[in-house]
Formats: sequence, structure tokens, C-alpha cells
Amino acid sequence: MSLKLTRRQMIEALGGGVGVVGLAGLFASISRSELHAAGLGNYAGPRLPAKAKHVIMLYMNGGPSQLDMFDPKPALFKYAGQRPSAVDLRTERTTGGLLPSPFEFKRYGRNGVQVSELLPQLASVIDEICVIRSMYTFNPTHTPGRALFHTGSVLATRPSMGSWITYGLGTENENLPAFVALGNAAGGGPQNRSGFLPTEYQGVGFAVADPDPEKIIPNLRNKNVDPAGQRTDMDALLQLNQNYSASFGTDRFLEGRIKSMESAYRMQFEALDLFDIRKEPEHIREEYGTGAFGNGCLLARRLVEAGVRYINVDYPGGQIWDDHRDVNDNLRKRCPDMDQAAAALIRDLKRRGLLDETLVVWGGEFGRTPVSESGSGRDHNPYGFTMFVAGGGFRGGIAYGNTDEFGFKAEQNRVSMHDLHATLLNQLGMDHTKLTYRYAGRDFRLTDVFGEVVKDILA
Amino acid sequence: MEICMPVRRVTSGLIIAAVFAWSPLFAQTTDNDFFEAKIRPVLAQKCYGCHNSKMVAPKAALVLDTREGLAKGGVSGPALVPGKPEESRLLKVLSYADPLVQMPPSGKLPESVLADFEQWIARGAADPRTSASAAAASPQYKGMSLEQGRQWWAFQPLAAVRVAETPTATFTAWPKTKIDRFVLDKLQSRKLDPSPQADRRTLVTRAYVDLLGYKPSYEEVQQFLNDRSPSAYEKLIDRLLVSPHYGERWARHWMDVARYGDDNSTSEATNPPYPFAWRYRDWMIEALNADVPYDRFIKLQLAADLMPSATRDELRALGYLGAAPMYHHDLRLSGDVIGGFLTDDWDERIDAVSRGVLGISMGCARCHDHKFDPITQKDYYALMGVFASTVRVERPTFPVDPKIERRYLWLQRQLFDMAYSVNLLGNEGTTFTDGAEKAVKWKAEVASLKAEATTLLAKYPQLVQSLEKFWNPPRRIVPPPAPAAAAAPAPAAPRSPGAAPEPPAASATAALTPASAALAPAALAPGAVPTPAAPVPPPPAARDRVLSSSDPFVNAVFEAAQYVDASDPSYTFIVYKPGEARNMPLLKAGNYAAPGAIVPRGFPAVLSKGDTAFQQGSGRLELADRIFTDAPGLAARVIVNRVWGWHFGRPLVTTPSDFGTQGDKPTHPELLDDLAARFVEHGWSLKWLNKEIMLSAVYQQSSKPRPDALQADEANALLWRQNPRRLDIEAYRDTLVRSAGVLDEQIGGLPGDLDSDTYFRRAIYGRVSRARAAQVLALYDFPEATQTAPDRDVTITTLQQIFLMNSAFIQNLAETAAKAAATATGDAEQIAMLYRRILARDPTATEMRAAIEYLQKGTLARYAQVLLATNEEIFLP
Repeated sequence: MSLKLTRRQMIEALGGGVGVVGLAGLFASISRSELHAAGLGNYAGPRLPAKAKHVIMLYMNGGPSQLDMFDPKPALFKYAGQRPSAVDLRTERTTGGLLPSPFEFKRYGRNGVQVSELLPQLASVIDEICVIRSMYTFNPTHTPGRALFHTGSVLATRPSMGSWITYGLGTENENLPAFVALGNAAGGGPQNRSGFLPTEYQGVGFAVADPDPEKIIPNLRNKNVDPAGQRTDMDALLQLNQNYSASFGTDRFLEGRIKSMESAYRMQFEALDLFDIRKEPEHIREEYGTGAFGNGCLLARRLVEAGVRYINVDYPGGQIWDDHRDVNDNLRKRCPDMDQAAAALIRDLKRRGLLDETLVVWGGEFGRTPVSESGSGRDHNPYGFTMFVAGGGFRGGIAYGNTDEFGFKAEQNRVSMHDLHATLLNQLGMDHTKLTYRYAGRDFRLTDVFGEVVKDILA
Repeated sequence: MEICMPVRRVTSGLIIAAVFAWSPLFAQTTDNDFFEAKIRPVLAQKCYGCHNSKMVAPKAALVLDTREGLAKGGVSGPALVPGKPEESRLLKVLSYADPLVQMPPSGKLPESVLADFEQWIARGAADPRTSASAAAASPQYKGMSLEQGRQWWAFQPLAAVRVAETPTATFTAWPKTKIDRFVLDKLQSRKLDPSPQADRRTLVTRAYVDLLGYKPSYEEVQQFLNDRSPSAYEKLIDRLLVSPHYGERWARHWMDVARYGDDNSTSEATNPPYPFAWRYRDWMIEALNADVPYDRFIKLQLAADLMPSATRDELRALGYLGAAPMYHHDLRLSGDVIGGFLTDDWDERIDAVSRGVLGISMGCARCHDHKFDPITQKDYYALMGVFASTVRVERPTFPVDPKIERRYLWLQRQLFDMAYSVNLLGNEGTTFTDGAEKAVKWKAEVASLKAEATTLLAKYPQLVQSLEKFWNPPRRIVPPPAPAAAAAPAPAAPRSPGAAPEPPAASATAALTPASAALAPAALAPGAVPTPAAPVPPPPAARDRVLSSSDPFVNAVFEAAQYVDASDPSYTFIVYKPGEARNMPLLKAGNYAAPGAIVPRGFPAVLSKGDTAFQQGSGRLELADRIFTDAPGLAARVIVNRVWGWHFGRPLVTTPSDFGTQGDKPTHPELLDDLAARFVEHGWSLKWLNKEIMLSAVYQQSSKPRPDALQADEANALLWRQNPRRLDIEAYRDTLVRSAGVLDEQIGGLPGDLDSDTYFRRAIYGRVSRARAAQVLALYDFPEATQTAPDRDVTITTLQQIFLMNSAFIQNLAETAAKAAATATGDAEQIAMLYRRILARDPTATEMRAAIEYLQKGTLARYAQVLLATNEEIFLP
């Protein structure tokens, strides 16, 4: 049978690992060296010195405006309403004259990184943050742009970065999905797609708007019977399965499924605990905020502690950062809870000593134009936009790269999506040209045939 | 490893020094000759494929085609300790002594070869290769010439293969069919015995699952067990092969390869759901039930509209192309971007046909000549012209005058694009260059198209009706003023009003919630894009009507060349020229904006007999024909290998969509060739193939583990047993529902929701969403329908078990089964009834005692759930 071994089976098959898994608590993590010794990841390239083990991707669906958050452009005031030839770049829609940002920028942190008044909380942790103001991508529309952001390709078929990373590094906790997508419960889309990688590397989606774990994980609790009664049922099942194995003979699938049943029985209760952010102290919940994004960020931290490899947190509301109109009003409403939760996550990880080993990445599929659309909005801008990374060995307190005078096009120290992917993989100990998967006759990569590690933004 | 390396180098240095110290020169030469004669050919044939220095990432970082690579080792450390075979990882792995890493994966090397390796290592592991000669030793990895390519095994003509009389007396009675003699031959050469025949209960279960897609009921098992005639098994196969449920099982297999889906991964305005895809699915079921020859089965899917022998009804087969995955083409984007999207769509068709039908990967040749296989960029763009001349449309199921139909199909496309464009204009959030002029011009064009359509199609009111949505768009759904929104200056809608022209599913995430999925209907009518914030979903009936429809149409294609018109710098149109064909330029590095020389439409050169060029129309029919006239051997090997895999859980070529140099070679090449040749002789009959395989002793073997055989061949590459299998999700869900006695076995029709706790039709009838697979499908390794799937994974996850333990779906089934069993009197009778219903057998005495004891604490329904969740239920021994 072409069977993928479970992590547990692999460790056991290697001998000596039994105790590690058997004795450790369900959510206790196995150390990295043990994982590598057991060959649980599929990455076969040279091991680079790994700074990070986990990734939290804060995904701002729709394309947030860099000009109002991280990339101040005084020239927009000077030429407000005008349309110098430098801004004649084709975007999705027809655009008008230059639209200045009404938000005040100040310098923060040891290097005086400029951040707008919309993001006071992120400004307060700016020394942990590497702001990349020279991102660029290749497609001006959402769907291909989103695919490129998460998978390195505009196609609707390729595996997401979360799948690649869990494929490469394996998991630290065999009882949890290694790759989780919060706020994307229904699954699908480039946020969790495993594409041609084996299905075990698919991101498992969970809704987080309601913090009740039973709402987050469907079927988590048995509504017919109490835990003791269910134990009786599980014992009956175990007995039947053991008898069946005795009559059939040793089989990996049969053994694996028996163990998986037992894990699942225990996981019900442990997950009720792990996924319950209401068990956090009140001040922590307040720090993150109690909206869906705050919940998502807080749960992401708990999942990192439990050994989940890659967590994508969608800012709630679908393609909400797509401010074709009323960009200023919209940002005033949307930024506070985003700012609060993202900053709380960075602060909290730092306090717990987890920021060093966790990459917190923030961004959308593109940015927005300095020229206006419909007078009060901004169109999609793939030519130049801002993302940030905190932790995982990125240099904090810097703003890297520059866009042109108007914030339209990345000019200095340009960073493509592939470059960022390559750099993230580098921090996870993998050479992006060596993390490959043989499919349809060739070796595929997250970075396709592109990507350079951006050394200047690494500590 | 960094620590190990220097130590190892010192060690091997010492050993080599030692060798030199006592060996006369001639001994060294002999060792080199020994390497060349005994070791290098094996490495080249068995190992270089995955471990060569030309690869970006050789498997396990181990390179075996250079002396340096072999000396260095891989991720697990050094491969060799010269002089010490027992400490050399290479030998351990080759001997299958490591339970996890056993190489080569196609089967353990013969003992004599292992002895050679042992001797070679013991004598110091001489390796005379230089870097230059290493490269020369693996010429196939530098790409192939046309001539070399034509010699490739998979491209050879087919011929029945003679098989030697089985030499051994021990198993003279074992072979039942010709298949068995090939397998036995190979087993015996490795000193392995086949397994005995499986018990009759296992045989009948296997036959039901393999032919109908679910396990047999208690009564069905009994019927077979009670038939004591010698031909009972063959009669069973014959009976199941003519069951109308056969097609449901085998269509689902093919649907993986055909990447069947009812919608698109984003389902936006220009790539809406396919409301008639289900008719394609039903056609597959009917065609497989009728045992339509495989060559015709494929030709109809590629070119039913062009085949004189095809009926109108067979246009349903065109769903293969007409409901293929595609991307949204936002016409506000530049011509180069739109051109790029179109070539992505056409690339998908090339990929589906080349890997799905021909078992070769052509995708690499989009950007450059294939680096390994004899496929050039020219071959690739010769095929792209075929698909650039094939346009997706909804065609009527009823006959229409061909000339009128062709114009109707053009009108349909043109109106679609115009209505979509007018709608963009009409949206206040979108500004346009020359918007006012465009509005006048485009609206006039819609009016003129309308006038033409109503006149032309006067005789066909259903056709006119199908176009009405384009000039008479349904009213937009206006969001009712939410209380909060009334207070705020701008409503806190998920998206700003300016985003409205983006169709609802533009946000992939938004489309995934049930509420917003309900908005999808409007996406169907390109002129009617609702405000995505609309919080009131239409009634379910409306939703079903639009996601899937029983109007008399099929998702199909017609002959028309497609071009990109970028003459307006602010807006791009796609131009459709019915009846014309388009030759594509070779695109440098696959870039639409960098066209090169024009490539005539045609068949891949390496597979062609004679001239490659296509002459008629798009060339679709010629493509379909030439697969079976020019490359019948390849096409037959590919499908025979797939069918073998669907019967055994492991195909003979373990990369079933890649028969090229990067794929695996067959474990039993002669068997594959012979079976493929006889399959063609038997008129490409899939049912003949099913029966031929199922009557073999190999297939009927027990799947029980045997320690000796596991030791020698854990992967069962040699087929010393049938493979034990896990039911795939369709067979599992159908078996669970059937166990509860509520499976609705009606055949065909509109798709339904597999995640519903009360959807009791067969799993094949669940909607296959490319955006979001049903959760139960995603839980059990259902392949993504965005591209052709070569095979399925088998995973074990805790979330699967949670589903079995706690879901309302399973609990409902358990209660239903228990309710039926409760009609019997007394615990023992009730338990016996449950066992019969769910596990199709009587309980043993021990099981009965345990169950009765269980009922002291638990209920009959909970016990039913336990039985449903057993390994026995999901496992196919």
C-alpha cells in the first residue's frame, strides 16, 4: 500500500523514538535535532544555520496602502492632484491625480523608522520590525497576486509557502496539523493549498471569529456521550481493531490508525484547552484585542508554543484592504485592531522568548497607487509596496529599500516576492534552490527559477 | 554531518593508503575493471535517475554519478566505508536492511549483484571515474535527441510478449492467466513465492469495491459464498461488470485524471461555475457502463463536436475541455496580462492531455526544450495552437442547424464579454478612459448583437432565452441598509463599494463561506455582479439553479481562433474568429510579451509517424486521432498501467502520469507491454482489462503479510501478494452509508452537498468544487481538481478520527443502523443484525460476548458507531 507513514510511525520505525513520543505530553514538542535525526522533513539540501522554526503570516487580503502606513511621500503634497509622467504606470483601473496621505508620520525606535499615526502600537515595537518598503510583484489583480504572494506563482495550482515549509521541515507536533490557516475555515485558496505536494501538507483552516474552541474545530466534542462513555466506546473499538490486526497480521496502516484513534481521543480534550484563548489572562486578551484578528493572533501564539510550524492569520472580512474608494476613512476604522493585535503578538512572543525562533510576516498581495481612484481611493499597485518581518533573525528597527518619489515603484534595493520567500526559507535553515519536489517530470520550487536571499535585512 | 566529514575523510584516506601499500598495480586495475563491469552499470541503471549531479536537488542530497559524490555521501552521512561492507550505508540500503530506506525503490537487487557490491567495497571501493566520464555515463540526462527519444521504451510499438514456460515445478498449478506467468517468473528469479489465494469473503469484497465502489452487503456476500460452482468467481465478475453502478466507480477514477470540477478555483465573473459539468460526469458513467472503447472514450472528450460518428448526446463528453479549470480574465488589464492568462489556460489543456492521456510531461517545454525528455518547445507551441483555436461555450443538447449554431456560439461569447464590459462601465466606482464614449459604443454593440440574435435564432426560442441575461441583466441585489451602516458615513461592508465590479468570489476567502457562496449565482450572468456585501443570500433553490442547472445545455467547446485585441490602451478585448485556427508563436521563456517564430499546429515530433502538422480546423480531431494512430503503444501502456494501479493500489509504473526519463520504469515491463498489446487487440475494452486482471492469480492472492517476503520486498514491487488497501473516500463514504441501509442508488443528476449530514447519494454525485473541496473529501486525500491528478495519497490523521468519533453524519448513520437492528428481539439478535449490516458478517462468539457486555454500559447506536469506525470497515484486505 502506498502509505504515508505518520510522524509517530516514522519515529517508532527508527527505534528509540518511541519513548520520546510515548512519554511526552500530546502537545509537547520534540526537539529539532531529534526531528532531523528522524528524517521527518523532506528538505534534502544543505542545512543552513536555522534562526527560526515557525512562521506566522499576517495576511492583509486586498492590498493595504503603504503610503498611509509605512512609506511617507511629501512629494504627494507638492504635486497633489497633478499627474506627472512618472506616475503613468498602468494599473487595474483608470486613475487620476496624486492623492496625498492625511496621516502624520513620525520617527520611532533607535534608527528613527517612520511610521504613520495609524499604527501607534506597531510604532512602539518598531525596533523588532524590519520594514521592507521596496517590495514589488508581477500582477495587478487580486487572485493572481494573492497566489503569487502565498505560492510564488500566479497559477491557481501551486503549493503555498506553508505547505512547502512543512514539507521541508516536518512537524514538531504530530497530533496537530503542522500548517494551520486561521480565519480561513472553509479552506481552499492559496493560503492553504498544498497543490502537488502530498495532502498531509495542506493547511487546515479554522474559523476564529468566535473564540469557543467547539466553534473553531468542527466535531471537537461528542454531543451524544460524556468522556467516560466515549472511553468505553473507544475501548470497544480498540478491542475490535486489535482482534482484526491479530487475524490479518502486521500492517502499517492498521497499526497507524489504531494509534491515531487514541491520539484523537486525547486530542479532543487537549485541543479544547489549546484552542481556548479564553483561558488566557484577561490582560493578555485585552492586549491583543478581542476581535477576530486579535483572537487569531493570540491563538497563533498558542499554536507556536504547541509546535505548529506555519500559521496563516487572515485579517477578517475577505478582500477588505482593497480601498478603491474612501481609503482614509476605511484605514481609520480598520487599522486600530490590526495595529493592536499585530503589535501585541510581537511583544508577547518577545516576552516569552519565542520571537527569535518565529518569523512574523505582515503584508498583502500588493500595495496601492499614489494616484487616486474615484477621487478618494487608491488602485492596486504591484510596482512598489511595503511588507514587514519581525523576529526570526531579521534586523529589527530598520526600513529597507525605497520607492520612487511618489511611492509608486520600488527603486532602491528592490525585493520581489520570490526574494522574500528565499529569505524566509533561509532563516528556516533551507536553501530555497534545494527545497524541491519532483512533479510532472521536473523539480519544482517555491521560488520557481527566481529569488535571491536578501542578506542586508538579516541580523 | 559537518563534524563527521573530516573524521571520515581521515578514515578513508587511511584505508586507501593501506590498499596501495599491499596491492600491486595490476590489482588496482582489476578493481577498476570490476567497477566498470559490475558496479557502474548498476549505478547507472538503478541509481542515477534520482542521484545525479545534474539535478538541482538529488534525492537525499546523494550524488552517485560522480566519484566525488559517491565519496561524499548524502544526508544520512557517508555512503561508503571502503574495506568495510558491513559499515557501508550503501550496502545496507541496497540490501533492504534499513526498514525506512530501501533502494532502489523498484525492487531489491538480485543477491548476486549485492554480492558484487559487497566484494567491491571490501576490496576498497575503487572508483576510476573522472568528472568528465561521469557526465558521459548518463547521457540521457542532458536531454534526448529525436532519434534517441524514439528508442525510449514507452514509445515502442506494442507486441504480445512470449513468456517462458514456468521452470519450477512448485507452482505449475498457480498461474491462472498469462499475467501470472510474468509475475511468477520474476518472483521465482528472486526466490520468492506467491501468496495463496485469498479467502472467498475477501474475494467478493474486493470485487465489489473494485467494480462497483462499495463493499458488498451480508446478503451479497452470502450469495457468493453459497455458490459452490467452479465458475462462481467468474460469474461474479461478469455480473458486477454489467451492473449500472460499475460506471460510477470507474468514472470517478477517470475524473481524477480528467480533473473534473463543477466550478473554478476563483469562480469570478469571467470564469464562473460550470452549471452543466454534471452532464459530462453522467456521460462518463454511461460510456464506461457501455464499455465504449478507450480510444473512442478519449477522442469524444477531445473532439466529439468534430467526429462524424458522434451523436449530439455525446457532446456531453466535451466537458473535458469545456469545464476545464481556467482563470479570471479582467479585461481592464493590459493585452500582455490577458494574453498571459489565456496561455495559462491553454497550458492547462496541454498538461491535462500530455500527462493524463500520453503519460508525458510537456509543461517544461513552455519555457525551454525539455531538459530530459525528447520534447521541444516547438512541440509544445504546436499543441498550444490547437487550444488557442478551441473556445469554451455552452452548447445546446438539442440539434441546431450547424451554421446557425456556430453563429450562436460566437454571439454567446461576444455578448458575454460585452455585457461584462458594460457592467464594469455602469459601476460608479470604476472610472474609465473615454468612459462616456465607450458606454455609447459598447451599449450600441450589445443592442446590435441582440438584434442579430433575436432574428437569427427565431426558430430556436431556447437559444434566444439563454442569451437574454446579457441584454437584460437581472437587477442587482441591493444591500438592505444595515442599522450600523446607516449611522456610519461609509458602511462597514467587507469591501468598499468601489470594489463592486470585482465579482463576488474575487475574494477567494469570501466565496468560501456558505453565505457568500450563495452569492455565486450572480457571477454566472456577467452583467449582473451583485454588491458583494449583500447580506441576504438568495433562497437555496436559486443558488442550486445557478451553480448547477438542468437547462438543456452542456459545457463544451467550439472551433474558433482566439486573439487578444490590445488596440485600446485602456481596455483589452478577446477576439473570437469562428471556424478559423490560430498558430501560436513560440513564446520565449514562456513570456506572452516575447513572441518568436510561428509554430504550425501539430503533433509532438517524437511520437509522430510522418508529418507532424495538423490540417483541419483547430487540429483537435487530428490530435485525438493521432494519439491512437501514431502513439497507440504509449496511450495503451498509460491507461493499462492506471487500471492496474486502480486494481492493486500500486501501478506497474509508479509515476502513472510520467513515462518519461524522470518517471519510474515499470517493475514488470514485459507484463505491461503484453497486457497493453492484448488490451488493444481486445478493442481497447476496459471491461476486458478489468476481467483479465481480476481473473489472474496475482490479483486473487491473499494480501496478508509474510515476514520472509516483507524482508525481501517490503514495497511489494514483485507482487508476492495483493496489496492491502484503504478504501478511498468515495468507496468509504458509500460503504458507510450503505451499511446504514440508506444509500440512495439512483444514477446521475445534479450535484449535491457531501458535507450535508443527510446527503445519502453516492459520493460521485457530490459537488466537486475547485475552490473548496467538501470537507469530507479534503479530510481523506481527495486530489485537487485544478490539475490532472496522477494518484492519491493515503494519510492517517487525527482529524479523520475526530470526524468518525463525533460528527453528526456518522452518528446519524449509526442511529439509523441501530434502529433497524432494534427490530430484532434480544441483545444477541440485535448485535448479530448490526454485524451483518455493517461488517457484512456474523459476529464470532467472542465478539458476541464482548458486545453483549458492552450493552450493559452503552447503547446499540453507539455500538453501531463503533462498528462503523473499525479498521475492518475502512480496510480492503
